[in-house]
Amino acid sequence: MISTFKGLNRVLITGSLLAIALLYYFPVLIKSSNNPSFYLQVVSVAVCSAILTISLNICMGYGGLLSLMHTGMQMVGGYAIAILAVKQGWNGWLALVAAAVIGAIFAILVILISLRATYLYFGMITLAVNLIAMEAIRHGGEFTGGYNGLFGVFAPGIPSGMMSAEGFYRVMITILILAYVVQRNLIFSGFGRNTMALRESSETATALGISPNMHRVKVFGVSGALAGLAGGLLSIQIGYAVADIGDLNNGLIFFVGLFLGGVGTLAGPVLGVALVAVIDFMIRGTGQYRTLVLGSILLLTMIILPRGIVGTYRASRYGSPRSREVMPGEADNYHLDIAVKNVKKGEVLLQANDVVKHFGGVHAVDGISVQFRAGEVHGIIGPNGSGKSTLISALTRYHELTSGSVTLLGAEADKKPYKVARNGVTRVFQIPHLFERVSVLDNVLTGMYRRDNYNIFDAIFRTPRYRKANSRSVAEAKALLSLAGMLGMEELAAGSISHGQKRLLEVIRAVATEPKILILDEPATGLTQDEMHSLTSLIRTLAAGGMCVVLIEHNVAFLMDLADIVTVIQSGKVIAEGTPQEVQKNERVLEAYLGNTDFSKELA
Amino acid sequence: MSLQIWIDGLFAGSVFAIIALSMTIVYQPTRIMNFAQGEGFILGAALGYQMVGVWKWPLIQSLAVLIIAAALMGFIMERMVMLPVQLSGSKFAWIIATLAAAMIFQSAFNIKYVNVTFSYFDIIEKDISIFGAKLSIQKLLVILMMIAVFIINDQFLKRTLWGRSIRAIAHNPDTSTILGIPTKPVIKLAFITGTVVIALVGFLATPVIIVAPAAGLFFTIQGFTAAIIGGVGSPKGAVVGGLMIGILDSVVRSWLGGTWGLFSTFFVLAIILILKPNGFFGKRVEGR
Repeated sequence: MISTFKGLNRVLITGSLLAIALLYYFPVLIKSSNNPSFYLQVVSVAVCSAILTISLNICMGYGGLLSLMHTGMQMVGGYAIAILAVKQGWNGWLALVAAAVIGAIFAILVILISLRATYLYFGMITLAVNLIAMEAIRHGGEFTGGYNGLFGVFAPGIPSGMMSAEGFYRVMITILILAYVVQRNLIFSGFGRNTMALRESSETATALGISPNMHRVKVFGVSGALAGLAGGLLSIQIGYAVADIGDLNNGLIFFVGLFLGGVGTLAGPVLGVALVAVIDFMIRGTGQYRTLVLGSILLLTMIILPRGIVGTYRASRYGSPRSREVMPGEADNYHLDIAVKNVKKGEVLLQANDVVKHFGGVHAVDGISVQFRAGEVHGIIGPNGSGKSTLISALTRYHELTSGSVTLLGAEADKKPYKVARNGVTRVFQIPHLFERVSVLDNVLTGMYRRDNYNIFDAIFRTPRYRKANSRSVAEAKALLSLAGMLGMEELAAGSISHGQKRLLEVIRAVATEPKILILDEPATGLTQDEMHSLTSLIRTLAAGGMCVVLIEHNVAFLMDLADIVTVIQSGKVIAEGTPQEVQKNERVLEAYLGNTDFSKELA
Repeated sequence: MSLQIWIDGLFAGSVFAIIALSMTIVYQPTRIMNFAQGEGFILGAALGYQMVGVWKWPLIQSLAVLIIAAALMGFIMERMVMLPVQLSGSKFAWIIATLAAAMIFQSAFNIKYVNVTFSYFDIIEKDISIFGAKLSIQKLLVILMMIAVFIINDQFLKRTLWGRSIRAIAHNPDTSTILGIPTKPVIKLAFITGTVVIALVGFLATPVIIVAPAAGLFFTIQGFTAAIIGGVGSPKGAVVGGLMIGILDSVVRSWLGGTWGLFSTFFVLAIILILKPNGFFGKRVEGR
């Protein structure tokens, strides 16, 4: 960042610290007012809303999971406290932890049954679950207190006189700050990068070896834990747990807060809820008009500030990241061992045995056998519609085979595409599949996540293991970027760089997964001459290190220059294979490309 | 099990089916499942109560006013939903916008009708007897309306140029605009038609089922459930899904008691979503 903007950043940080101090000092400020406990309650309930909105932000803003059951999770957290602490007599703090755990379990159960449902349908399942949960609690008899709910929920420590209301209020502020830190640490870690990768494109994330289902379960689980915690705190504040807490109408405030503050931004949920709470406080007592006002604010926000306050700031001249100046010699600091481990040059890495893929009556791939060897650049060419891309999708298991088999490193390749990726086959798609809203550096780091040997808790608490893995990954990512001449652009959003740079970045990201076989689908399309040179030297370096680079290309000159071996495909069948020189002389190839004319013979 | 339960189920199913159909009408060109749709049902119930029940207006006059009011509501709803959707880049814009619209209408109804539930006498107070089971004309009207809406919608989509434009817009709005299809008017009309349809069923069904001013979201969710079971975007699915949950609700209700009806509906929804994630007649829905 350029120094003038540091000043603004400092103002924002100072502002946030002042706000936190003010929140801690708040009980003293209102002591002389006529109704201190009422004001304390107003702020406390807003704090619960803020924690819940952070939870909603993690799953909707970052994870792209449409959840309409967050009010339900809140209700479940509240009942967990009411049943465990009041009826079972558990220690209050323990019950609060249990509320978070129960929230997580609830969320995980829901997402486990709905993994096959996409997007809209997932939202509908959450809506249905929310209604079922409310009905179940209303008819839970003694256990849940039925329609009346459970009463007499107190803050831990308060009944025994160990803690004052002000004291517990300060504990809640601390929990809110912790929730924010958890969110921040998660989002900046490999966990957050994978989450955003899945939000942007589940297909690309799979190509990088991320298991979409497993990761969604984790994201929703974390979100559920925070929501359960928020619900537990809310019930402590209002003193009861009742099924109506789960009503979707009560969720309006979270959506308003999230959209007003900025979806998918760190500070957005807290800022948004704070604003909504102030508005809510000003219109208190108007009862029926509250929903009307909140709903109108939500619609107006979406029209006037579509990205929310923080999102708009981030997109503005002041808040958006820019490229930094690279110090001379900086690139030398980053070393990278590009060599592929555990393979011998010339060894067969992947073998397709008579692969057939039919789409109904279309014989896209009609019995292709091909071998990819370590250390070679393997070109695949063929006219449009000859089945090149289908072959690749079949080999990487994005398509199920009609018949035939794929052998990867001597064994039958796994049926799941992300497992094929994990076993060393990374593909780069024909059209750019970058995570556009994520920074250049994070795009590369997402490719590296398999090397990150830390778990969610390491990321949340920033353990030494996390710090070590993270700094190593960042150094490696920068080394890769400097290989493509992109050092200095780390913080830019991937969507904002040029087309050629995007293509290069994609290749870099694929290399970051440490593949044994790298499949590039038309990487040279739309590149400038310079970028083409960068790409060529990058591919040569990779192949020299023992990687097998598979190139699908229309640019024959580019391909013939680079490839060690070329396979020519027509109508789903291999019509020629050999060195570029051999292939160029092959009669059938000439015929396929140029038709059997005298003109084509002339060219040859 | 008596025939009466099945007839009641058929009636309730027809109500849900029409709600789901009206949602399908909005969904087809917009790819939006409208959370505010159920508020149109409440509009029908409220105006019916006001005009037929309180003011004792003649039927034709009430119907005319109802259709005009519903069209106006559809027009406003389109602006409330489509403006944020077009301006906001968020993938979730539609759901939040329709939810906000639903809340706004709901609180408007709540403010106007405090402690009122909508009910009034049948338009034609007469029963038909089928093998000893009773079917009031009012219920029959709703069932007939369901069939009519389905057939008209189906023929309209298949036979007319306008219907074909709707399908083109559903596929790709930008290309449709380039090809000269009036995308925006088509979307406006879809909202207006959808709201008029659901307001009419609200008007017809309210004498049978008593409706509370805040019940809009409930009807929305029932319509969603029906649409999802059948497959979002498919009129055939809307009818099948609607009848299924209506009959299921009626049967379970008589068998296990009131609240279990609602329970069973959502339970079936969850099961169907797990086994057939795209419903019976639906296509895979991609994120927008």
